[in-house]
Amino acid sequence: MADDREILRDIWEGRIPIAFSLSPDEATGMEQPEPYYMLVPRQSYLTLVTDKVQKHFKKYTDDDNTGEVWFEYEGQPIRWHIPVGVIFDLYSHKVTLPWNITIHFQQFPEEELIRCRSKDVIEAHFMSSVKEADCLKHRSQVINGMQKKDHKQLWMGLQNDKFDQFWAINRRLMEHTADEPFKFIPFRICQVDKPCQHSLFRPVTDEGEPVTLGDLLKNAGVAEKLDYKVRIQGIEPPLDTPMQWLSEHLSHPDNFLYISIICDT
Amino acid sequence: MADTTEQSSQEALESRSPEPISPPPTEKKKIDLLLKAAGDAPIMKKKKWAVEPSKKIGWVTEFIRKYIKCDPSDSLFLYVNQAFSPAPDQEIGTLFDCYGSDGKLILHYCKSQAWG
Repeated sequence: MADDREILRDIWEGRIPIAFSLSPDEATGMEQPEPYYMLVPRQSYLTLVTDKVQKHFKKYTDDDNTGEVWFEYEGQPIRWHIPVGVIFDLYSHKVTLPWNITIHFQQFPEEELIRCRSKDVIEAHFMSSVKEADCLKHRSQVINGMQKKDHKQLWMGLQNDKFDQFWAINRRLMEHTADEPFKFIPFRICQVDKPCQHSLFRPVTDEGEPVTLGDLLKNAGVAEKLDYKVRIQGIEPPLDTPMQWLSEHLSHPDNFLYISIICDT
Repeated sequence: MADTTEQSSQEALESRSPEPISPPPTEKKKIDLLLKAAGDAPIMKKKKWAVEPSKKIGWVTEFIRKYIKCDPSDSLFLYVNQAFSPAPDQEIGTLFDCYGSDGKLILHYCKSQAWG
């Protein structure tokens, strides 16, 4: 179980100030609607937390032409299925707060984004990620040993922003003994314009030495790029931080550790 | 469903040696996919396919849908290790690196949520 519990709560409570604006092409009527300001949880998904935003802007669009919502920053569609904080970190070096995001209801970019027609889709995607993470950490033993209602509690905890409700169950997924760390670390390396990268990575060497973030980046071929910055949960962890510790403390609710790589091009 | 598939992929997962993971390969060696029906999904006549590693799960899903003549209104779910559904934008090559066994990646497909 995570020893530094206060960190878990700090991470959970991370927020990003976002200013949503409607795409100018889609506003009908005389006036462009005002931006909608919101503090969005880093840990959540854009399509999960923006019901009010969508409702607000739909008033200004053409009813007949309103399709599935999607979000965009500087011309790039935002992948809703990656937690908000991870996407923000990819752009954080050039964003001045609030983060200006454009909301669209037309011309869904089918080739670039996954459809999200209901909250069920988000739940299914989230739970699949949790299951994949436990497959890597515990050979799926912990997640399979839970009841359906426990799985539901994880989702409800995330959806309702309830730290205690979520961690009552998640603590079991984060458990390890001193002798046996996680089998493999669930992580995803994210960059702009690329699918997320992940591979099998053990948190200890054969000799039992903890493996670090720097080791992982080297193995993933990231360290070869010259100017790059690493962001995990909005911070730049020292490269000698053990991966086991990062996995237990800085993972997102789906139990994956998202590592944002920013390349200065 | 037979258990042997699940066991062998788990064993493969555990037997991975901790050698450094090499950077993404530049050569495009195709990945061998084995597509298995689950639930009441129709069994594909041809189950083994060689696919480029950069192809995404979404592409495989569409491929199977066309092959089994899936109705547009029907869902199709894909599973790895009979445990989780990878996101549609995940690359086959990446999934093979993590969850492949005996030189192939086994994917189960189903019209209802089998393990979800």
